This record gives sequence, C-alpha cells and structure tokens, in this order.
Amino acid sequence: MITQYLFYFLTFTAIFCALLVVFSKNPIYSALYLIVTFFATAGHYFLLNAQFLGAVHVIVYAGAIMVLFIYVIMMLNLNKEVEPHKSNIIKIAATVCGGILGLVLIAALRETELGEITEYSNNGIGLIEKLGNVLFGAYMVPFEISTVLFLSAMVGAVFLSKKNIH
Amino acid sequence: MNEIIIVASLGILTLLAEIFNFKKLILPLVVAGLAANIVVGIMEFDLASYYNDADTLRMIESDLYAKCFMMLLSIIALVWVLVNYNFFSDETNQTDHLALILFAIVGGFCMVAYTNFVMLFLGIEILSIPMYVLAGSNKRSLRSNEATLKYFLMGSFATGILLFGITLIYGSIGSFYVYDVRMKTASVDFTITPMFTIGVVMLIAAMAFKVSSAPFHFWAPDVYSGSPTSVTSFMATFVKTAAIAAFMRLFITAFPTAIESYKNVFFILIIASLFIGNIIAVFQTNAKRLLAYSSISHVGFMLLALLCLSEATSLKSLFFYTTAYSFTTLAAFLVLKIVSENASGDDDISVFNGLAQRNPLLAGTMTIALLSMAGIPPLSGFFAKYNMLFMALNHGYLWLVIIAILASLVGVYYYFKIIIAMFTRNSTDSTAIPLSLLQKSLLVLLMLIIITIGWNGWVFNLI
Amino acid sequence: MLSTEIIYKIILILAVFTVTLVVALYSTFAERKVAAVLQDRYGPNRAGPLGMFQPFADGVKMFTKEEFIPGNADKQLFILGPSIAMLTCLMTGAVIPWGGDLTIGDYIFKLQVTDINIGILYLLGVVSVGVYGIMIGGWASNNKYSLLGALRASSQMISYEIAMGLALIALVMMTGSLSLGEIVRQQDEGLANIVYQPLGFLIFLVCAFAETNRAPFDLPETESELVGGYHTEFSSMKLGFYLFSEYINMFISSALIATLYFGGYNFPFQHSLGIEGNALSIVQTVVFFGKIFFFIFFYMWVRWTIPRFRYDQLMKLGWKTLIPLAILNLFITGIVIGFKNGFFN
Repeated sequence: MITQYLFYFLTFTAIFCALLVVFSKNPIYSALYLIVTFFATAGHYFLLNAQFLGAVHVIVYAGAIMVLFIYVIMMLNLNKEVEPHKSNIIKIAATVCGGILGLVLIAALRETELGEITEYSNNGIGLIEKLGNVLFGAYMVPFEISTVLFLSAMVGAVFLSKKNIH
Repeated sequence: MNEIIIVASLGILTLLAEIFNFKKLILPLVVAGLAANIVVGIMEFDLASYYNDADTLRMIESDLYAKCFMMLLSIIALVWVLVNYNFFSDETNQTDHLALILFAIVGGFCMVAYTNFVMLFLGIEILSIPMYVLAGSNKRSLRSNEATLKYFLMGSFATGILLFGITLIYGSIGSFYVYDVRMKTASVDFTITPMFTIGVVMLIAAMAFKVSSAPFHFWAPDVYSGSPTSVTSFMATFVKTAAIAAFMRLFITAFPTAIESYKNVFFILIIASLFIGNIIAVFQTNAKRLLAYSSISHVGFMLLALLCLSEATSLKSLFFYTTAYSFTTLAAFLVLKIVSENASGDDDISVFNGLAQRNPLLAGTMTIALLSMAGIPPLSGFFAKYNMLFMALNHGYLWLVIIAILASLVGVYYYFKIIIAMFTRNSTDSTAIPLSLLQKSLLVLLMLIIITIGWNGWVFNLI
Repeated sequence: MLSTEIIYKIILILAVFTVTLVVALYSTFAERKVAAVLQDRYGPNRAGPLGMFQPFADGVKMFTKEEFIPGNADKQLFILGPSIAMLTCLMTGAVIPWGGDLTIGDYIFKLQVTDINIGILYLLGVVSVGVYGIMIGGWASNNKYSLLGALRASSQMISYEIAMGLALIALVMMTGSLSLGEIVRQQDEGLANIVYQPLGFLIFLVCAFAETNRAPFDLPETESELVGGYHTEFSSMKLGFYLFSEYINMFISSALIATLYFGGYNFPFQHSLGIEGNALSIVQTVVFFGKIFFFIFFYMWVRWTIPRFRYDQLMKLGWKTLIPLAILNLFITGIVIGFKNGFFN
C-alpha cells in the first residue's frame, strides 16, 4: 500500500521536475530540477529493490555528472538570457514534430497490452550479487568491450583539452 | 573476436608507447599490427568459423557476413592509415590520433558482428566517440569546432533514439538477443504491437542518421567540410561501411520478415537520399561538401540492398557496393588532401584547376575515382550500381530503378565539373606538385583496385 | 513488536542527532583549545570552568546576529545552500554502527539506525550530494570570491572522491560486503582492516581531509585569497550551518575511518575481559567514541601543523599521486585475493 503511494509521489515528482527543467528560465534552476528528477528515478529503483542501481544512479548522475554541469554553467555565467532568438517557423516546426512523436507514442501506449503482470517477488534481483553474476556471466563481452568505450572517451577528453606544444 | 582483441590491444599498446617514450615506433607498429590482423583474418577466413556460443556468450558472431565486413574494414583502415601517414606526423598528437582511430576500428568490428542489441549500441558508441573528438582535432579552426559540436549533439540524440528503440523492442519481446527477436516475431502467436513497430521505426531512424541517409543527413555536409580532410575520409569510408553493415545486419538477423512492412519508410529514405544528395551537390563549390552530398546519394543506392533483402544477391551487392565505394572515396580524398595541402588548406573546387598539367598522376587518379563514382563502365562503380539496380529490377521495383538512374545522371554532371576543371582550366599556380614514393604507390594501387575490382566478380562472390 | 521497533528507531535517530550536534559543538571548542595548546597559549577560558560554556556563548552569538541576504543574491538558493550542507552531513550518521546489540527483555536493539546492504554506497552518494550545498551557496551569493570558493570546493571534492572510491573498492573486495555492520563484524573475528589495507587507509585518510575541506586542503575558504570563500556573504545562522556542517563532517568521517579501518566499536581482547551482553555493548560504544575523538584530534593536530597546499599542488596530488596509488592498491588487493582463492593454481 505504502509502496503504491510512494510510487505515485515519485512519479509525480519526476515528471513535474522534468517539466520544470524545460520551463525554467535560469539554467542553474534547470540543472537543480534535473537533480531532483534523478533522485526520483533513483527512488523508483529502490522501490523495485534494485538498491545498487539506485545508489549508483545517485552517485553517478546526481553526484558527479550534474556537479560538472553546474560547474560549467557557473563558469559560463548563463544566468542572463543570452539565448539567441529563434525564428517562429522553427519553433512551430519543432512543436509540430514533437507533438506528432508524442501523439504516436501515447497512441502506441494505449494500444499496447502488456502481458500478465507477474506479482513482484522479493528474489533479490538488482542486488549486487545478482548483478555481478550477470555482468561477469552472460554480459561478460559487452562489459569488457565497454572498457574500450571509456578508454576512448578518456583519450578523447585528454586530447581535446591539452594544449598543443610546439 | 580475434580481430577485436588484436586491434584493441594495439590501441592500448600505442598509449603505453607514449608513456615509455617509444613514439618513433608507434606508427610502424600500428601498420604492422593492422597488416597482421588482416593476415590472421585471411588465414581464418576459410574456416568461416561459426563461433561456439560459449566462446562469446552470444554477443558476437563471426559468420561469413561479419568476417567479410571485418576484412573490408581492416583493409580500409590499413589503407587509410597509410594514406594519412602525415596526419600522424605531429608528435604531440600522434598517439591520441592513432589510439582513437584504433578504438574506432574496434567499434566498427562490433557493429558488423553483433548478435545482441547491447553490442550494437556499444559498437556504435565506440565508433562515434572517437569520431566526435577527431572531427574537432584541428583545434584552432572554428569550422572544425563547429563540426565536432554539431556531430556530437546530433549524434548523441541519434544514439538516444536508438536506445529508446531498443528499449521498446525489449519491452515487447523480452530479450536483447537479435535471434530471440527473430524467433519471437516468426512464431504464430506473435501479434505485432504498436510498441514494437515504434521501436523498429526508431531503430531505423537512428541507423539512417548514422549512415547519413536523407532526411537525416543535415549534419553530414557541415561535419564533412569542417573536419580535417583525413578524418573526413575516415568518416566517408570506414564509418559509413560499418554503419550500413550494422543496418543491414539488423534486418538480416532480427527482422528478416519485417522489411516488407517498412518498405514505405525505405522508399522515402532511398528517394530522398538519391535526389537530395545528387541535386544539392550540383550547387556546391567546396570539394568536401560536394563529396559529402555525393556520399549521401551513394547511401541511397546502398539502401536498395536492404529494401530487396529477400533477393539472393542483396548481401553480395551491398558488400561489393561498399567495397567499391570505399576505395573510390579513399582515392578521391587522397587526391583532395594532397591538392588542398598544396594550396595551403583551401578545399574549393578551384584548387583542381589545371591539375592535369601540374601532376598527371593525381589528375588521372581523381578522374578514375570520379568516373567510378558516377558509374561509368568498366570501373568498379559501374558494376556496383549495376548489381544494385539489377537486383531491384528482379524484385519488381522498375520505377525505383528509373528514379535511381535519373538521379545518377544528375550526378554525372557535378563529377564532370571537377574533371573539366582539372583538364581544361588554367591554374594560377602552375608549379608541379611533388609526391612522395608512398603517395605515388598508393595512388597507383588505389587506381588499380578501382579499375580491376569488378571484373571477374570475385569480390562480389566472396560473401 | 512493530511499534516498539519504530519507537526505538525514532529514539535512536534522535539520540544520534543530538550526539552529533553536541560533538560538533564541542569540536569547535576543542579546535580552539588544541590550537592554543599547540601554540602555547591558554585559549578560551572565561565562560565557565576551563571555558566549558564557550560553545554556547558562540551559539547565542550566531543566533542573535543580523540575518542578511545580499540584494543581488538569488534568495531561494541562498537559503537552500546551507540547508543542503546541513541536511547531507546529518544524513550520514544513519548507517554507522555505534556499538553492539542491547538486549532489554525480549527485544534486541541494534545500535545502528539502519544496516542497509549498500551502506558504503549510501555514504558515497550522500557525500557526493553534499557538494551541492557549497556550490549553490557560493553561486547564489553573486560574489566573485564566493563563486571561486565554490568552484574550488566542487572540483576538489570531485577529484578526491575518485581516489576515495577506489580505496574503498579495495576494502570492499577484501570484505566482500558493502554493509558497514558486516564490515565491523568481520573485524571482530579477524584483525582490523588497517593491517590488510595500510595504503588504502592512507589514501582514504588524505581524501577524507580533502572531502571535509579541512586544512591542509581548506582552499575553498582561504582568508588570504578569497576573503571567506564560499561563505563570504553568509551571516548569522546560515554561516553557522556551514561552519557546523564542516565539524559534523569531521565527526562523521572520523567515525567512518574508525569503522572501516580500525575495527569500529571492537577493541582487542574484548571477549576475554569477562563482561558480555549489555555491559560489553556500552563499553564498546565508549571505545568507539574514544577512537572517534582521537581522529577528531588528529584532524586538528594536522590543521595546526601542516601549511596549506597551493591549488595546483592539490590537484596534482589528487590526480597524479593518489589515483595511481589507489589503482595500485586495488591491483595488489586483487592479486592477493586471487592467490588466496587459488585462481592462479
């Protein structure tokens, strides 16, 4: 019972703050609302008993990535409205495209019949042991390959940020 | 899997070499490593080893399709490194450039051999992130900065859409394995849900972005023209081949029966690519932008293979088309690079004026390459187009074939614009362009490949 | 049963809360006394015997000062900043095991608010969110000194979080658990973790200094360059919150160091003393606080001994020394665990 109320509360928070991210004038506020959205999403993970994912979600997204976001926003000092004015045609086109996509997605959601909703059982899915077994078992190859991804991202970041010494 | 391990360790080796100050050794080492990779691949080729499931846990499959494309990608990569030998001459950036390129090659390998959507996603990202960075490798140039930012922003959105599509497919199938998707969709009690359809459409949109097919092509001209020419040639050859191979693999493994349901989508993609690519290219004065639009139009041809997936020759046609296209483009970009470096970085079409007098070898190679792109017999580009159109005709798309031929006729016009400039216009600067021995031999090699590759159809029948 | 549990938990939470505040309050006093001793002075000695009431006098001063919000500041965020700083540092006390079990009648009461199985990750998460308090406060002040202080604080904390996390991973690999309760229990059975992880402990200690913005890493609030750093514009209780949160962080990180590396509430030969049950638990709690107080003293000792780092030195230490060392530590730990489990046979 209480999980259901929590679910509704978290969902409402997530969606409401996600909207505020878009509608806030001040980029710092947008970033802060995004952090709240991440927390609400992490709350959903906790409700699903995926504690490790929830905690890592908070540490990585709210704790590291958004700090860097805010860091950059602070450096750029974007609090004044320096955004270039976009022409109305682009705005209308963007609204129409987004609206159509939203319409299609909502229509698809209405039409979709999900299979039987299996009763949630506390089998420890999403705990670290289970996750580790999956990562180092069935998903071993992607897990190892993703190191190449991170390495290339690191090399790229270093390359872009270092000065050319001549 | 061997290819991935070899190239990834080569990438790490270059980084280690930087630490231990073996910089002089890096480039020969990489060339040797890539060559060794090709040798290993050819030796294992006849085995056509269908890897044991336990080996890679159903993530990567080295079937004939994957083997062939991996070989093609390896050869493109090796030729590219040789062609752009002086791209790595700058000591400060040499290691970064090489490591990024090697990692990108690993991504390309994952993209042509995946059997799991997770690997598709990882492959695309591993290929894209080094590309985002390398597009901006000319840090002082504003246009290079613009190119990297545009590519990065749009590319990440495309990846987001790809992930969204994968999620929706997972939601309706319950598995990330492509063969599970095929089995589920082929079974009798499977009804196609809207969720599944949208998932597939999103996958198509994201992949169409990655192969820069119109109407998802808007990034391509700016990124191609802003990036350093070497990087552009990598994007136009390696990245495009890997992306189209991944696109094709999606449909041969996961949705073999679905293509008929989505043929309208492909009609639009193909017709738009052919016309937008060819017609806008006519008005370009910048050679790199021109080649960018021309590459968009070639994607229109390549997508024909996806549309006619049920034809027996579709895989062969696609493989041959990408092979011919890649080597032709490599040759064209090599000439463009040499000529524009000689004109202090200018890449307007006017740099080609009077090239026939200044260096006949360059002008000859460029002419062969452009004629091949235009599809003039007996060059490989002609056979590539011929195979594609013949296949489409067999499949009953006569109207599409007529449209494609009309569009290529427009293409002939702008390819000849450069040829005419090279042979009839007079250059302001009439000094001869010097070539190194490596460049000369590469030009001759590429020219030979372009001319001979289509003759007895062995490349065509490889796959 | 359930209601007893809930009531007990509420009492425990309030107790931890109070203890944390009192310790932080007297840490401010201790800091001044320690400084005085190290510099051969008297320190505060007027309010009450030995100056014992000095913290309360300071508190009254803080409360009664004028509440001032600068005109150009972002008012909501200006208030949000110190609130987050205080909130996050108080949240960390929830997972620390303060002592053994108490048995009253049929009930067994754990002296730990909650023993979640991701305790270490919870701590890392809360700590990583804690940086927002400083960042938001510094930015909202609309003052260049504050902004610079906030930027310094955030980049410093992010840089040192990596090395700290890597040091903790080595510990977790060894213990095989992320639960603090479990880690402490293991140290009861075996030796304290410092024996197995000396390098990890050293890295963790240095990072803890940087994370709490204490000297010699107190660059976010260097008086000589940045006036007051991120809290330049703050006054009254908002300033109090920032200062207080620093001392609470110090307390919690001392508790954490004791828990992770020095056996927590366990002490040597505790089972051969002839006491057990509730008496043992109480002694354990006392010992645990003894360890905590030692590390708080250690913090102050270092502060008044070692001069402040320069900013580039700080970054170099973090990225070029601590992270490679932490990776090395991780590597060695992995190899040793591999040998113990016979992976190499």
